[in-house]
Amino acid sequence: MSEDEILARDTAVHGAATSGEFTLEVLRCNPADPEDRPRWQSFTLELTEGMTLFIALTELRETQDPSLQFDFVCRAGICGSCAMLINGRPGLACRTLIADLPSPTRLAPLPGFALIGDLSVDTGRWMRGMSERLETWVHGLDTERDPARLEAPMEPEVAEAIYELERCIECGCCIAACGTAQMREDFVGAVGLNKLARFHLDPRDARDDGAYFDLVGDDDGVFGCMSLLGCDDVCPKDLPLGTQIAFLRRRMARQAL
Amino acid sequence: MDTVYTDVLVVGGGLAGLRAAIGARRRGLEVLTLSLVPAKRSHSAAAQGGMQASLGNTAKGRGDSEAIHFADTVRGSDWGADQLVARLFAETAPKAIRELAAWGVPWNRVRAGDHETVINGERVTINEDPLAHGLITARNFGGTAHWRASYVSDGTGHSMLYTMSDQAVAESIPVHERMEAMALICDGERCCGVIARNLINGTLVAYLARATCIATGGFGRIYRVSTNAIINEGMGAAIALETGRAVLGNMEAIQFHPTGIFPAGILVTEGCRGDGGLLLDADGHRFMPDYEPEKMELASRDVVSRRMEEHIRAGHGVRSRFGEHLWLDIRLLGAEHIRGRLREVQEICRYFLGIDPAESLIPVRPAQHYSMGGIRTDFRGEAVGLRGLFSCGEAACWDLHGFNRLGGNSVAETVVAGMLVGEYLADFCHSDDGALPGTTTLARDALRREEAQLRSYCTGEEQESPLRLQQEMQTLMTERVGIFRHGDTLKTAVEELQALLQRAQRLRLAGSRRGANPELVAAYRLPRMLKLALCVAEGALARTESRGAHYREDYPQRNDRDWLKRTLALWSPGADRPSLSYEDIDVMTMELVPGWRGYGARDYIDHPDTPRRTEDLKRISETGVQGDARQEQILPFRDQLPPSFRSPNERLFSGEESL
Amino acid sequence: MSRLDTVGDTLVLAPGDRRWPAWLDLLQGLSGLLLVLFMWAHLFAVSSILLGKPAMYRVTRFFEGSLFFDTPQPWLVSLVALFIFVIFVLHTLLALRKLPSGYRQWRAWLVHMGGMRHEETSLWLVQVITGLVLMFFATAHLLELFLHPSNIGPHASAARIASGGWVLGLVLLLSVEVHAGIGLYRLIVKWGWFGLVDTAARRRRLRRFVYALVAFFLLLGVTTQMAYLRIGKESAVRDGLRYVPPGSAQIVPPLSDEAPLRISQTGEEVKR
Repeated sequence: MSEDEILARDTAVHGAATSGEFTLEVLRCNPADPEDRPRWQSFTLELTEGMTLFIALTELRETQDPSLQFDFVCRAGICGSCAMLINGRPGLACRTLIADLPSPTRLAPLPGFALIGDLSVDTGRWMRGMSERLETWVHGLDTERDPARLEAPMEPEVAEAIYELERCIECGCCIAACGTAQMREDFVGAVGLNKLARFHLDPRDARDDGAYFDLVGDDDGVFGCMSLLGCDDVCPKDLPLGTQIAFLRRRMARQAL
Repeated sequence: MDTVYTDVLVVGGGLAGLRAAIGARRRGLEVLTLSLVPAKRSHSAAAQGGMQASLGNTAKGRGDSEAIHFADTVRGSDWGADQLVARLFAETAPKAIRELAAWGVPWNRVRAGDHETVINGERVTINEDPLAHGLITARNFGGTAHWRASYVSDGTGHSMLYTMSDQAVAESIPVHERMEAMALICDGERCCGVIARNLINGTLVAYLARATCIATGGFGRIYRVSTNAIINEGMGAAIALETGRAVLGNMEAIQFHPTGIFPAGILVTEGCRGDGGLLLDADGHRFMPDYEPEKMELASRDVVSRRMEEHIRAGHGVRSRFGEHLWLDIRLLGAEHIRGRLREVQEICRYFLGIDPAESLIPVRPAQHYSMGGIRTDFRGEAVGLRGLFSCGEAACWDLHGFNRLGGNSVAETVVAGMLVGEYLADFCHSDDGALPGTTTLARDALRREEAQLRSYCTGEEQESPLRLQQEMQTLMTERVGIFRHGDTLKTAVEELQALLQRAQRLRLAGSRRGANPELVAAYRLPRMLKLALCVAEGALARTESRGAHYREDYPQRNDRDWLKRTLALWSPGADRPSLSYEDIDVMTMELVPGWRGYGARDYIDHPDTPRRTEDLKRISETGVQGDARQEQILPFRDQLPPSFRSPNERLFSGEESL
Repeated sequence: MSRLDTVGDTLVLAPGDRRWPAWLDLLQGLSGLLLVLFMWAHLFAVSSILLGKPAMYRVTRFFEGSLFFDTPQPWLVSLVALFIFVIFVLHTLLALRKLPSGYRQWRAWLVHMGGMRHEETSLWLVQVITGLVLMFFATAHLLELFLHPSNIGPHASAARIASGGWVLGLVLLLSVEVHAGIGLYRLIVKWGWFGLVDTAARRRRLRRFVYALVAFFLLLGVTTQMAYLRIGKESAVRDGLRYVPPGSAQIVPPLSDEAPLRISQTGEEVKR
């Protein structure tokens, strides 16, 4: 194979070849330093092929500013650690290709969560609080069945439907994209409502609509949602959030009637 | 000094740690978990394809049993596994999967009737029994006699971790997130907890506990090309090593996964091949049958990875600007199957390669994936050399995997080990040894030592970026301590790692940012990673044979006579290299004596005990004893199980086949 | 009714029934839907002028109870206006509770919207603005109808519009149509009716449909207004004469109270 052919094939496989300089503007802030005020800091870096925001930020930390804070764990789009505002919209940084972004591109921490520093926010505590509040686990006596016994059967379609909703990675994008959550801190958001919809679907969960109503039947729950559906449009896992929230709203309204 | 007291301290919020925590909590103990990241971000979530357990519900799994799972695991390990542990594991795995099913994991289920599937490149029809309809199904994975990998699409680990984590919330187990264990508090004999650093504000906290359990996962990030998460830097194993008491086992046993996306190293699941995907070379030729006529693409991972590299070396690799690679072809599975069962793979291909795997080939090359080695423990999960310290999951060398782990056995191990070790450490806490000795002074001393260590990074003389040194180490490990190893290159690797360690211990940082300081984090982790890397490289250099994933070009044969043993690495305080010793693996207690694995190389040097043990086993068979009585004579294990997990596993189709 | 509730770790006596939020949400949607339907019907009624003065006259008479009464009963119009006003106030109050309160929330909201560049998020601001406009303009409109129910008719309405009423009318038309369109869309999305919103593509299609609907009603509204404006320029209307349908002989109330009464015998327009 000639070099040209290799190049042509590579372009097909690895995306368009890119080069040149790229400017990233990062919203810096260190809450541990009382003197520090939020400010935009500009970084210029050399574009390389297939460069993601993960690669770019790691390189910035290595070569330009070792104090730059951000969170990456899996760097493959499955753990949800690296959600941030990319030009104002929430998204997973690890799988965002620089080639798809305009220069300069602005990076800011996810709003709605406690700031740890620069691009790092504390989604973990928020999500744990949500789990505790909505009791996001299967409730029922059968959870303690003897594991040596044959498992309880389940319709294959039901299992698949549950997984559809369970694909949520708690990245926080839906909260950052939610107009309601921006105004009201106690709103459970699409992540919480989708979780409850997942358990509602699960025949192993013994809770009835009344129990669900007690959890999300108010303005901090499903009736707080204004249906702007920013959540649905930014969800990195393409979860059917709008449909699920609407479903819960109908069920909960029926419960109230 | 901030001090927190608890009964059980679990370091690590992945599947293994959380399950151990739940187990101890249910035994009435106060449990606390530390995690580098929010628990649900743990690397357990990255397990895609499946979890091995011999349920035998699917037609292609019919006749499966604990014994066959056990045998597959031991063969996969190239006889490096502890066979008692493998037995305990195979016995508990079905319980683990069923427990998770009851807690909420939406395992894919058997659908009665005819199904089209791809086996060996051809479309075939499988008929599922109506009796099994709705029970947990399984897919094919490498190195197994039956279809045994139960799965949730290709987000198995994700579903398991979320269910487990929510269960931990249900049990009110606190998880202190973004807390990094910096050192074990120990008095030379016994571990009494850890000194941890708060990664948000930089403060140090002493956690004192009757039992400490390290479940921090693997250390793949000492390599440049790895499927592992960024956080898999092996800090749990490293701080155990730094006690100078606990030892690390089989550190040279590093697994390379055949299908890391090239060049990023992101994993695509073995389920791709299990479901019928093929490996192709530059000419579009399916090459695995040429090398491995028995199992082809589904030989064990060490074998497939080695064959792939061998094929690239023979000039059949696909050339690209980043180097050479091969192709994974799953187009033949069809768009519908990929959309339903290989969703994450499809998503990863879309975002990182810009392709749809239903239409295009996926560029792959083996990448570091798993560390079989870790903190050496007994079958109870208690560390060798340090009482009160437990370990489970990938962080431990429990030794289920020996020198090569089978696909789907890692998530299985995390949960099973969590179940068992949780019980054993609760037993320990309830025993006479379980009381926490007076340790306040000990904790204060340990904390001061850590403080001094952290301060030293302001005054060191080596003005070098820790991240740059780390890169040097990673490149060196990938290039010289990779799939193919040789004495000469290993020797230079060891020397260079030692030089890097010298520099890493004298680092001086550029800045002194308050609070979370990523540069400081990199600085204090670097020497620890280098110590692990040295254990790997020195272990690999010393082991003059090839076994499982450890392959020496200058010693290509498996040598049971001289090397049927476990490497133990100890790091004495102040030393600049590990000291190695060995623990014999006793053939005379084996249920499955060393032999050919059923795939891979056929020639090996026998252990002198192998014929004797073979005779023993034959004699036992000839007496005609069956079932449990026979097991008692060969390898008794049931009494070692915690009482709650002793009952035999119920199975829909049983007793059709035995070992 | 009171109930025990937990705030943090403490038990407090919380007022009210926990079903309130559900009811309020339902009522907001229901009242909105009712207003949308009424408003569309109303626009169709008003636009009857496009079919000629007699058509509009018949519609007016219909609402004044021509089916049951021989003489016009403008109080019926007042009644309808009152009823709509009550629903309007209810809807306004329910919607107001969703507005950002205070500088901090407003700022958070606006920054959020600016960054998101998300159509549906931005539409909500449009909804807030049109809603606030309606709070004043629709109130004024409804009050006028309530107080002067008889001031409706081919000439009467035209006179009102021609004498500067078109400004109010145009603002009202624009806000109400946009508000109703977005509101209807939001309602469908909110309750997930007919699976219309199951995917982003379907939502996009629904949005386009709603926009087309809004455009249609705006066009209809503007054309209607222009028709009234044209009529308003006719000398008769400028002279303050009521419209009298051809072939009828009846007492025609004047456009203004001061003008003396005249009786028409011929169906010709009557001069003051």
